[in-house]
Amino acid sequence: MIGHLNLILRLTIWFLLTADLSPANIVIGVSVALLLPGRQKAAAALKDWLHVLGEILVAIPQAYKEAFELMLRPHRAEDVTLERVKPRRTPGLIFLDIFLITFTPKTIVLKYHERGWYEVHWVRRRKKT
Amino acid sequence: MNIVLIAMILALLIPIYEAWQDDDVWQKMLAFASIATKTSIMILIVSILRDDWMIGVVGVIILSVGNAALMLLAHVIKRLNDVSRGGL
Amino acid sequence: MIDILSYGCMGIGLLFWFWGTFPLVGKRSVLFKLHSLSVSDTLGSMSIVVGLLLKIPSEWPLLVLALISLAIWNTVLGYVLAYCSSSGNEISEVGDRSEYSAGEYGVSEYGTGGYE
Repeated sequence: MIGHLNLILRLTIWFLLTADLSPANIVIGVSVALLLPGRQKAAAALKDWLHVLGEILVAIPQAYKEAFELMLRPHRAEDVTLERVKPRRTPGLIFLDIFLITFTPKTIVLKYHERGWYEVHWVRRRKKT
Repeated sequence: MNIVLIAMILALLIPIYEAWQDDDVWQKMLAFASIATKTSIMILIVSILRDDWMIGVVGVIILSVGNAALMLLAHVIKRLNDVSRGGL
Repeated sequence: MIDILSYGCMGIGLLFWFWGTFPLVGKRSVLFKLHSLSVSDTLGSMSIVVGLLLKIPSEWPLLVLALISLAIWNTVLGYVLAYCSSSGNEISEVGDRSEYSAGEYGVSEYGTGGYE
């Protein structure tokens, strides 16, 4: 079976797209969401998922804050750092992590190394010496 | 609302100019990505101006199908670069 | 009241658009431009859509879908472009992290006017 979060995501997109809560539409949406193939081994801890989803909610105002910082003071220097991936991440969670880092304007993930490192590109106010 | 639309068209001119004057392929890709997002937001605005939600649905579909083609193109270009640099 | 708020959101969005798109013309590295594009295209467009949402709340399902897909697709495109455009310039197989420290190709290669 597909994971319940996966199912919720599909149903959300379906209902937003159709904007129709009649019984027939609900039946169609649920059956399509169940029939679409999903990855089998999505056994990530629910706690991790909720944690990341919470971080996304925090990330939106933070992204706007960073945008204003970028606008008010020029950031001219660039550099690249490596960051450790937290242990025991499933692919879905890693995708969400990369999404979170790239969503904020000061940081972009350049590359994900298989051995558990993200390569993160930063803009900064001045060169770090 | 009209002023908003005019300002958007002005903003759209910048990436078009950049795509025209720059020769580096990645800079062109950036400009095209910017054009794609800006035009689909403009479609949404136009649909509200004309009060016609069919246009708006088109805009939302373009947004949600997204820039998949651009991502595919980026991978093709990267692969081409790899091949031409390192030999097969 | 709602009107002011929605025009405010659209104004901020347009400001972001202009601020983030102007660096596109200059001679900076691709990655630097990506940072400013993520300000303008993701955050600016999101605030424009929020402005529209305040103006016509009756169409909220479509506009919320637009918001979500805007955030996800633009961010992923930023990552894909960064990945594809940068991996041409470096050793593709890195065995050990000490092989390149952060500053090694970070500032020197992508610095001001770094690309030719």
